[in-house]
Amino acid sequence: MSWAGPEDIYLSTSLASYLDKKLLVLLRDGRKLMGILRSFDQFANAVLEGACERVIVGDLYCDIPLGLYVIRGENVVLIGELDLEREELPPHMTRVSAAEIKRAQKAERDATDLKGSMRKRMEFLDMD
Amino acid sequence: MGSEEESAVKEPLDLIRLSLDERIYVKLRSDRELRGKLHAYDQHLNMILGDVEEIVTTVEIDDETYEEIVRTTRRTIPFLFVRGDGVILVSPPLRTA
Amino acid sequence: MVGSYINTHKFLSGFSSSSLYLFIAHLLSLNNPVLQLFFSYFKDLVGKEVTVELKNDLAIRGILHSVDQYLNIKLEHTRVVDQDKYPHMLSVRNCFIRGSVVRYVQLPPDGVDVDLLHDATRREARGG
Repeated sequence: MSWAGPEDIYLSTSLASYLDKKLLVLLRDGRKLMGILRSFDQFANAVLEGACERVIVGDLYCDIPLGLYVIRGENVVLIGELDLEREELPPHMTRVSAAEIKRAQKAERDATDLKGSMRKRMEFLDMD
Repeated sequence: MGSEEESAVKEPLDLIRLSLDERIYVKLRSDRELRGKLHAYDQHLNMILGDVEEIVTTVEIDDETYEEIVRTTRRTIPFLFVRGDGVILVSPPLRTA
Repeated sequence: MVGSYINTHKFLSGFSSSSLYLFIAHLLSLNNPVLQLFFSYFKDLVGKEVTVELKNDLAIRGILHSVDQYLNIKLEHTRVVDQDKYPHMLSVRNCFIRGSVVRYVQLPPDGVDVDLLHDATRREARGG
């Protein structure tokens, strides 16, 4: 049941039509959550049941179970309805374990960090 | 524009009102610039621009030399709604006295 | 059809009594009921195809389904412009986009009546 006020329910842009459906929620920090919408309000605060985070690194992905989540509306970018008839991801992507995706994430982070620190060294050399 | 009241400038947004149907320059967050004809705006500086040119400036770091590469990307869009919270400044067209 | 964007009489005539109540409740919740040029503009654009570009660079093309006072947007028949970069969006057919994360909306040329916009903007500027 939703506790949104009447004006929210009748607003056609409300999330009412997404209640009890499996959704993808994109957050401002780039994270992708999936779960079933159980409640929302006018700020787009949302309650997701059976939530999981879908982590994607290159062609690898993993769904990490999270449980019941209340998401603060401010951090919501987009809420999309998942078409259950369609493949959720392109066929070339491979599901891996949580441990493996964490390793891949770290490798990706290290590569960007290296690029940044090399640039800093170059800047230092440019000084003279 | 005829009446005196319409052309008086009492507050900043009055200058933008006088730029309606004129080409303006808009600087936005995340290194974006727009030039286009102003068709509508509101108090948040939400706008609709026509015949828009967008210029995006990006800085990449070269994979081998680790040098900074500054790139500008241009594109044109026939009609564009711009959300006001990204606007840094608006410059009306230059007027000859 | 593009109508008069802030012509209140014309606006109210299309409402039933229950939605009229909601409409008034709605106005009371706004700081200044006269100032909603873009809300009215986007409502007239419902059913047309637009491209919404978000502040995180994601661009989504779709049919405008609805809009509310915060300029939250609902799109149908969505398609992400750079699909390869956003594989997780593959099975999203319709979505809710929080107004605050929108950078641009690319408008269809037949959805822009320049003279109407100028008049509505001048009226709005006087009201403010």
